[in-house]
Amino acid sequence: MSERLVIPSTLANGPITANEYRPVAVMPDVRVVKIGGQSIMDRGRAALFPILDEVIEARRRGIQVVLLTGGGTRARHIYAIASELEMPTGIVATLGKYIPMQNARMVQMLLAKHGGLYILPDDFEKLPLYLQLGCIPVMSGMPPFGYWEKHQEGSRIPPHRTDAGVFLSCEFLGARRAIFIKDEDGLYTDDPKKHPEATHIPRITAKELIARNLPDVVVERVVVDYLPRARWCKELQIVNGLKPGQVLAALEGQDVGTLITA
Amino acid sequence: MTKLVGGDGRTHIVSKLMRESLQDRAVLEGTNSERDIHIFPDVSMVSIGGQSIFDRGKDAILPLVDEIAEVKKHHKMVIGVGGGTRVRHTMSVAMDLGLPTGGIAQLVGAMEELNAILLNALLAPHGSMPMQRDHFWDLPLYFDAGITPIAISVPPFHFWEPPPLEGAEPMHGSDFGMFQMAEVLGMKQAIYVKDEDGLYTSDPKTNKHATLIPKITLAELIKTMPTENILDAELYRTWADARNVKRVVIVNGLKRGQLTRALAGEDVGTVITKDAP
Repeated sequence: MSERLVIPSTLANGPITANEYRPVAVMPDVRVVKIGGQSIMDRGRAALFPILDEVIEARRRGIQVVLLTGGGTRARHIYAIASELEMPTGIVATLGKYIPMQNARMVQMLLAKHGGLYILPDDFEKLPLYLQLGCIPVMSGMPPFGYWEKHQEGSRIPPHRTDAGVFLSCEFLGARRAIFIKDEDGLYTDDPKKHPEATHIPRITAKELIARNLPDVVVERVVVDYLPRARWCKELQIVNGLKPGQVLAALEGQDVGTLITA
Repeated sequence: MTKLVGGDGRTHIVSKLMRESLQDRAVLEGTNSERDIHIFPDVSMVSIGGQSIFDRGKDAILPLVDEIAEVKKHHKMVIGVGGGTRVRHTMSVAMDLGLPTGGIAQLVGAMEELNAILLNALLAPHGSMPMQRDHFWDLPLYFDAGITPIAISVPPFHFWEPPPLEGAEPMHGSDFGMFQMAEVLGMKQAIYVKDEDGLYTSDPKTNKHATLIPKITLAELIKTMPTENILDAELYRTWADARNVKRVVIVNGLKRGQLTRALAGEDVGTVITKDAP
């Protein structure tokens, strides 16, 4: 009988937990920032231009920014049709890649003269060069899971969308805070667009947020689930891109909007 | 004609999900139904173990290749391979270096690819081809031409591997990757080819009192899950929430004929079913 040919290693001989794992942060100073799809991009110039001005100003001040884009109403449109056709979640997730990619390209064209650079998911390895050159890399926020996105009970919509992509990028890069630019001041007790009596929550832990069991939340639920077990990304900051100065304040590290902490 | 709608500063396309929060549970429920379309219901997914088969070398690989060359004339299948001991070695070094989980996930796929190249080199004379990452829409062409595609088994999570439930090791490996391919394409079954007769109550390599589980439902298995398991825990977790794959079979690739019987739909090795028979 043939034998397994084994390379000796700690894992071959025992569980990995026998080793002390001392994680190394890849690029901890980078600000990983999402530009919302429905909340910002679908508002067009009026919302986007002032935000980009603040991003350019932050970059001029030496802050390293990576922008990721959301999808928005076109994503909702294709999700609605794909759902009617009873497409598996993995196909819906694959369809969901295209719209954030369009939005990233739009942002790149606008930022090109300020160093805007469209990058692909696998281009993280080139980020040090791009950032040292003063560029502003722009990419789709959609994680590359595509057909491998798992079905979630009670829904056909991919649970990992562009908020998850921003959080996971931040976690890989080893940055502490992921910044989400939306069109609200942050987290509310309910969707403030439909329930004007909803009140603002400036700071909350992921555990408290899960315990509140809100019918609706401002970031994707998987992100809130992941936050407590993340090693690097310990804070999600949601800021209102429609209010002048908020984006720049957040990029400078100020606690504006809502902070969801691990 | 679909309408564009403004009025709140945003421009929307009219759809059921227009203006809706995709975090809202009621909205999400509206996208759901009892079923998914099944795209390739007559195709089996076959995953060949890295440690269990390839790391054994020629004596284990060549007879299995012979069997596949024969059985591929009668059954449509997509084959994937595991990476084996080189994956474990990669992880061991990467963990010692303190690389982040997503960085480790980005590295390991290369090790599985080596086994895929070997398998392709051996099967090509009988009709096989590497399948690019997600070129699923080429599959009808492959099958019509008598070609068996060899897929990339690790999922494309890469730098975006989610934080694991514990430790720093990525949770989504080739067992999960191949399962998910079968799931999204609505395949007939997922078959895992290993070096044991199936799933045992504990590791039969170290415990001689371990007994084989010939047939079990996923629900029963989750209740009595052996801690030493021939398949990754993530596969079972994913399957519990999945809804297309009805049958996962674990067979012994060192025993000729087991894979052939599994492809024919026979109960061989360990058969795990989603629903009670």
